[in-house]
Amino acid sequence: MDAATLTTRYVEAAMRTVPEKQREDLAAELEASIADQVDARVDAGQTQDAAERAVLTDLGDPDKLAAGYTGRQLHLIGPRYYLDWWRLLKILLWTVIPSVGGAVALGQIIADAPVGSVIGSVWVAMLTAGLHVAFWTTLVFVILERTGHETMTGEAWTPDRLPVPAQGGATFADMLATIIMMGVLAGLVLWDLSLGFVPGHRVSLVDPELWPTAIVILFAIMALVAMLAVVVHVQGRWTLRAAITNAVLAAVAVGTLAFNGGHLLNPAFFEVVIPDDPASVHRILTVIVWFFIAGTAAWSALDAFLKARRARR
Amino acid sequence: MSENEILETHLQELRRGTVVLACLRLLVEPGYGYGLLEELGRRGFPTDANTLYPLLRRLEKQGYLDSEWNTDEARPRKFYRTNRAGIVLADALTTDFQAIATAIAALSEED
Repeated sequence: MDAATLTTRYVEAAMRTVPEKQREDLAAELEASIADQVDARVDAGQTQDAAERAVLTDLGDPDKLAAGYTGRQLHLIGPRYYLDWWRLLKILLWTVIPSVGGAVALGQIIADAPVGSVIGSVWVAMLTAGLHVAFWTTLVFVILERTGHETMTGEAWTPDRLPVPAQGGATFADMLATIIMMGVLAGLVLWDLSLGFVPGHRVSLVDPELWPTAIVILFAIMALVAMLAVVVHVQGRWTLRAAITNAVLAAVAVGTLAFNGGHLLNPAFFEVVIPDDPASVHRILTVIVWFFIAGTAAWSALDAFLKARRARR
Repeated sequence: MSENEILETHLQELRRGTVVLACLRLLVEPGYGYGLLEELGRRGFPTDANTLYPLLRRLEKQGYLDSEWNTDEARPRKFYRTNRAGIVLADALTTDFQAIATAIAALSEED
């Protein structure tokens, strides 16, 4: 390897993460500095090669040097969020992986799958669930870390800025409850659609017409609700912005369900369960479920606004 | 971490601010990266290159150093020079450093 290229490569590597505007100036200066240091070592009797190597080794990882120039963060999740992230991740992994494994095992056993395939699918499902939990949880915190503004405000710190003990609706337990509720709901819907709750009949309670578009949208909304719960907890309170987001999510969820002409439940389900008068039971239950959904959505939206208002005082 | 490394870390932390002060004082005469690195070492402020170079940039950005490219010689170099604000800062740091030195001396007299 030609000796000159080592410095060139080092400077190039360091400049990769430096903003375009400063790059030329910084590169020229760094190159001159390295050359100066190398010359000094050569004058002291080292070979050009050894001198260059020693200088670059002393300068260390070019990415780290560049971070020193630009003040860039070199961590994914810093001390502010680390403990929250770790605590949540541990609990989620401990609850989600066994639940998913148990559910898949039960489903496979009910479907009379051979032992080997049960073990295989349980293993794959648990692995996938663990990966998803770890990835999404971490992603939420990484975004928070990169968008947190508290450290960038120039205002002086006063005791008023002390974090308030997590307020109503923003405690760790609240966050956990929301996340687990979303997970359980998603699990129930998936179970219903794939296996059904009526032993011996593969018929779902949820209208199969809702699959896949409406269900996938609902799952996405549920994931966003879970992420919102994390944000609310980390902020320590419901903010107006969080409450608005929550209301929008609730509205979109209701709208998505309504898009299927208001049909939520599977008529075939009632034909199996209540052979006497399936049509009217279907009708009545649909109305009840709609009241329940609309009520829950409205209450959830209102509740968040109330908590946000209380937290502002 | 060995006892030696712990000592090293503490010494490094103690010296960190003094390098800023030394740079501001030395750069009253314009200087460039490597030259300053040598000068600092000679005068009892041994500093790593990868600490000094970003530090110069930071001080420049904060408005305590001015810089200028010197292309008179074969190797163009970026020269830094302490400006008015830098001298004021250096004075403030010196005053504070002396106050700390007095305070520390008073501490050891008490034993």
